[in-house]
Amino acid sequence: MIIAISGKGGVGKTLISSLLIKELSETGKDILAIDADPDSNLPEALGVDVDRTVGDIREELKNDTAQGKIPTGMNKWDILDYKIMESIVETPEYDLLVMGRPEGSGCYCAVNNMLRRIIENLSENYDFIIIDTEAGLEHLSRRTTQNVDVMLVVTDNSRRGMLTAHRIGDLAGELEIKFQDLYLVLNRVRPEVEEEIVKKAQETGLEILGIVHEDDKVTEYDLEGKPLVELPDDSKTLMAVSGILSRILRE
Amino acid sequence: MFEDIPVDVSPMYEGERIRSANMFVELAGPKSWGAELVQVEETVEDGKVEVIGPELQDMGEGDIHPLGIKIEIQGEALEKELEGVIERRTHELCNYIKGFMHLNQRDQIWCRVSKEALEAGFKLEDLAKALLILFKEEYPIIESIAITIMTDEDEVQRFVEKARLQYEQRDARARELSDEDVDVFYGCVMCQSFAPTHVCVVTPDRTALCGAINWFDCRAAAKMDPDGPIFEIEKGEVLDEVKGEYSTVNEVVSQRSQGTFDTVYLHSVFGHPHTSCGCFEAVAFYIPELDGIGIVDRDFRGETPLGIPFSAMAGQCSGGKQVEGFTGLSLEYMRSPKFLQADGGYERIIWLPKEIKESLSEYIPGDLKDKIPTEEESANIKDMRAFLEEKGHPILDRLEGTPGEVEEAPVQEEESVEYAEMDMEAMPVAPVAYAPEFTMPASGGVKIIFKNAKIYAEKVIIKKN
Repeated sequence: MIIAISGKGGVGKTLISSLLIKELSETGKDILAIDADPDSNLPEALGVDVDRTVGDIREELKNDTAQGKIPTGMNKWDILDYKIMESIVETPEYDLLVMGRPEGSGCYCAVNNMLRRIIENLSENYDFIIIDTEAGLEHLSRRTTQNVDVMLVVTDNSRRGMLTAHRIGDLAGELEIKFQDLYLVLNRVRPEVEEEIVKKAQETGLEILGIVHEDDKVTEYDLEGKPLVELPDDSKTLMAVSGILSRILRE
Repeated sequence: MFEDIPVDVSPMYEGERIRSANMFVELAGPKSWGAELVQVEETVEDGKVEVIGPELQDMGEGDIHPLGIKIEIQGEALEKELEGVIERRTHELCNYIKGFMHLNQRDQIWCRVSKEALEAGFKLEDLAKALLILFKEEYPIIESIAITIMTDEDEVQRFVEKARLQYEQRDARARELSDEDVDVFYGCVMCQSFAPTHVCVVTPDRTALCGAINWFDCRAAAKMDPDGPIFEIEKGEVLDEVKGEYSTVNEVVSQRSQGTFDTVYLHSVFGHPHTSCGCFEAVAFYIPELDGIGIVDRDFRGETPLGIPFSAMAGQCSGGKQVEGFTGLSLEYMRSPKFLQADGGYERIIWLPKEIKESLSEYIPGDLKDKIPTEEESANIKDMRAFLEEKGHPILDRLEGTPGEVEEAPVQEEESVEYAEMDMEAMPVAPVAYAPEFTMPASGGVKIIFKNAKIYAEKVIIKKN
């Protein structure tokens, strides 16, 4: 099952993604987390270090190719495959692949085509894939999120967050991208305005899968740069995400 | 067939990855070393399997060990040249074994064995046994085969060193692989989303314009994804060996460019040069004043002697167009022995950015190295001519053969418009060159600039002294 988390920058995609990964880890299944946001901070939220991203590998291969460093008889698919495997952060609970920086100038058609295939093949080895996608809509129009089973659109109560959620819903329809399910997750909701926000959210036409309330603990962790996955078990945010996961898994 | 092997062996397990969480041991890979090598021998003890060093059962969970896979084969029809091709299959065949992960090739392999496989009783000996059967099945020309698996540190170390020598020899042979040696070229239409009529033709002597894929990569890609953007082109009949014109290439290019082009010369910027995508690493451009060719790459920020930078030039000839006098190319192609061979190769090159020139120093013929100017020696045509004359560049021989001094041509300001309107189409002439912009040197304080000029000539005389 592939679960993608999208929404406007700053609405809390990474919070939801990291806690989903934490909750899914409990199931003992094989999990691949993909940080597809160039401004990535999923590794920080998960509390792991990343040496090399897919973006770094892409540049490395380009440079090696330009300088004629690749042995004539070796093919680049295998080299990329190896390097991607090498860049994966492996933990006992899950594996993490970070896409990293966007492309530089020049032609990336070939290398991106190879990467797409390699990551597709790699993904087949996992029970669950969680993708923290780029902010905004580009991933949709570039059709990088095509085979997603569940797409969660995260928004806070800002107008712009809602607007983005609305657009994602529209665009997904227009581009005929077949998500099996497309849901809204409301984040950082203050209880006193919940009713109003839910009403506004319903205008997006997306089904609300869960509501995460404003949480001082999360703010504190964010400020101190503490990994969000270390939130205590009784954290209300963690429990809310746990509920979201149960609904995704239809438990 | 695999009754003796305690785990499943089937192509369905190809692409299997073993997460460190599910892994029993890691063999070779980034934290250790290893290699695989296929060797054609005179005599081989058929079916012999040997494990030198600790077996899986002697290893501890989470351990990392070196790994060597030596495959010796014998057969009437087997030649040393086939070693690389057969060795390439090791990756796929190893991956048929459930619970055994194998990545990459040569001395860059990376393997893992799953906990599940170990629990089923899988041994390295079984890996060798499975490979014996799979290789023989895959290649009936293999008459006898013996496989040695090494995990002993010193043994693997020695083996890797020996294997590296073999790889080097093979690469040297591969570098020599030329268009004549193969029956199949490859086409690539990956860039058609923005260059709808661009068809990249990839041959052993010509990598794709983006520089990212060579003939070997295409062979792998076409096999992996037969319906993908990279496909085989039967070479067909050779129409012009020097220009690089082939009947089937012409047909396929016509078909894949929706009938836009029906002729392509692989090794020339004149006549019917290769189409240009837009993401090429460099552009070769004809400099009509000096009858030579300049090359500028994407990273060069300044202006070329034509007075325009790379970006403007790329704009003129990209998008899948076939523009006479221009062709996109990869930097690797400049290392090819067939590099623009129909135009004279490096003897025709009269300008290169310094960085590129330095990186190619091994490939530019020795006597030409000092004769090709860069942006440091010549920023414009005048300087370039002076430099070429001073150094005695072979292009001068060509220039001497061209009739008439341009400077002496009658030029009148203002009135000259009338000349420009002369009817020139009536003459049955062949196009010689096309330039988005070029400047002709002229005396009397005037400069003549042609924009989007197409040069036609009734006759082109190339004289050799």
